Amino acid sequence: MSKLHSDSEQSYLGRREFMTAAAGMAATAFATHEAGAAGHVSAPVELSPEDQVTKPIGAGSRILITGANRGLGFEFTRQYAKLDTRIIATCRSPNKAVALQELAEDNSGIVIEKLDVTDLENIDELAEKYADKPIDVLLNNAGIGGGAENQIFGKLNYPVFYEVMAVNVVGPVKMCEAFRKHVEASDLKKMITVSSSQGSIAEVTMPMLYWYRSSKAAVNMQMVNLALQMRRRKVIVGLVTPGATATDFIPEPFRSRIPGIRQPEVAAADMMRNIDRFTLENSGTYFDYDGTVLPW
Amino acid sequence: MDATVPCNGIGRIRQRLVVLFSGCLLATMLLPAIAQEPSANLTYIPTVLITGANRGLGLEFTRQYVDRGWRVIATARRPEAADDLIALADEHPGLVIIEKLDVQDFKAIDALAEKYTDTPIDILLNNAGINGGARNQIFRKLRYEVYEDVLLTNTIAPLKMSEAFYDNLLASQQKKIVTVSSSEGSIGSAKQARLYFYRSSKAAVNMVMVNLALQLKRRGISVGIVNPGPTDTDFMAGLPKSMLRPPSDAVADMIRNIDGLNLETTGTFWQYDGTIMPW
Repeated sequence: MSKLHSDSEQSYLGRREFMTAAAGMAATAFATHEAGAAGHVSAPVELSPEDQVTKPIGAGSRILITGANRGLGFEFTRQYAKLDTRIIATCRSPNKAVALQELAEDNSGIVIEKLDVTDLENIDELAEKYADKPIDVLLNNAGIGGGAENQIFGKLNYPVFYEVMAVNVVGPVKMCEAFRKHVEASDLKKMITVSSSQGSIAEVTMPMLYWYRSSKAAVNMQMVNLALQMRRRKVIVGLVTPGATATDFIPEPFRSRIPGIRQPEVAAADMMRNIDRFTLENSGTYFDYDGTVLPW
Repeated sequence: MDATVPCNGIGRIRQRLVVLFSGCLLATMLLPAIAQEPSANLTYIPTVLITGANRGLGLEFTRQYVDRGWRVIATARRPEAADDLIALADEHPGLVIIEKLDVQDFKAIDALAEKYTDTPIDILLNNAGINGGARNQIFRKLRYEVYEDVLLTNTIAPLKMSEAFYDNLLASQQKKIVTVSSSEGSIGSAKQARLYFYRSSKAAVNMVMVNLALQLKRRGISVGIVNPGPTDTDFMAGLPKSMLRPPSDAVADMIRNIDGLNLETTGTFWQYDGTIMPW
């Protein structure tokens, strides 16, 4: 996304497109059943008792994890590997991901794939490569913070907003689009995104991180939409948060200033517990690391 | 005067100095009030800057604020084509000032702010918005380039406007930033999947404005988020008229909520009927 880098004349939606859009809104908003039949709106779905039963990730489950080379992504990979799962561990630069390579050498279930979630074609190529492979859990873990210094009112760095949105919002949504058939074909059928408590509008108490926070509020909305969308197809969509964790994501000197900062192995274990709790019934929930439900 | 205070020379001088000093202090405190109070009440015309003022809600906001005797800086991407706005400006010479502004063009925002340096702006009303077209927001064929457009207009342009016109707001009496959001931006209210880009742009701008409310509270600037409800404008063309409210009602309701915006209520997301929207 490079809108603000471009000096060229911006294009606008024409009046006719506006009208069409509004007509589309009309269809979706006020003619649920017809629109549902058209295939892009979830009609209310009756849940079977089975839809309310938790099915934990275990031996043989296939999990795709983005940003698996370090921090929480690495920790997810390490802990899921212990459960004899099959893991597609993606990262931007596999040849630099030494720890992940070593982990993969010791675990035959781990396959490393090169993927930049901001490269939408790259996502499509990877989805194509795994076309016939069911994926039980798509785990959108990759994320960026955007740098606190770029998000200060009075000197906001707007191009960074697009970088943050590309990784934190567009990447996860595109992953869900590209891998929807893989997930649908699987046993567990979960699309999980690592969000943040910083995305909870209701919980904001201090002004900071305009880009990061709004990206997480935006991805929360996207995933709630997707949860409604995928219900008929029995796909479960979930949001989890790690809590403040001691990884590269929170750079020094901030990291050591956060009281009670959590270790990545604890944060990943907490999120794994919450990922197992998702069913079709609570699809779209925003679970904080301690298992409570965060307000939007 | 206390009888025990010795009335010697030094004591008297000290007393006189104290009286003189107190008098000066009192005068310093009162003079500006005496000088400014009547003129502030009689001639101060509040100013509102409204983006996207050429049609729909923006045009109606302009009409209703000017009817209240406000000065309106009414911006539009193509003022030359804004016939209704031009007609309104002709009816109210000097009170409706039309300015060309595309909120996607941040250099143009800075240039407009530069032009209005030292002009107090009581309310910055971020009204301009786009929905991105429902066809572009269908899962399985999402058009991400449209998302950029929607985020630019709906999410960060209101923030850029707030940055650019910060000094104008500070110099004003009412000091309010208001953004027209949407119930579609309420995550807790989503019941059906639709409008992925539009909805998340509004959830994101809600977050941005809540952040801003906290940021600017100690500067005396209040920040509010208003929701018009389904309104009979071009934005909603195609919806059955029976489900839409006239723009005059939607705007009157939003103005009532804007009137209720202050440092106590800053950061609120108001439904048009005055109730509070869930995030």
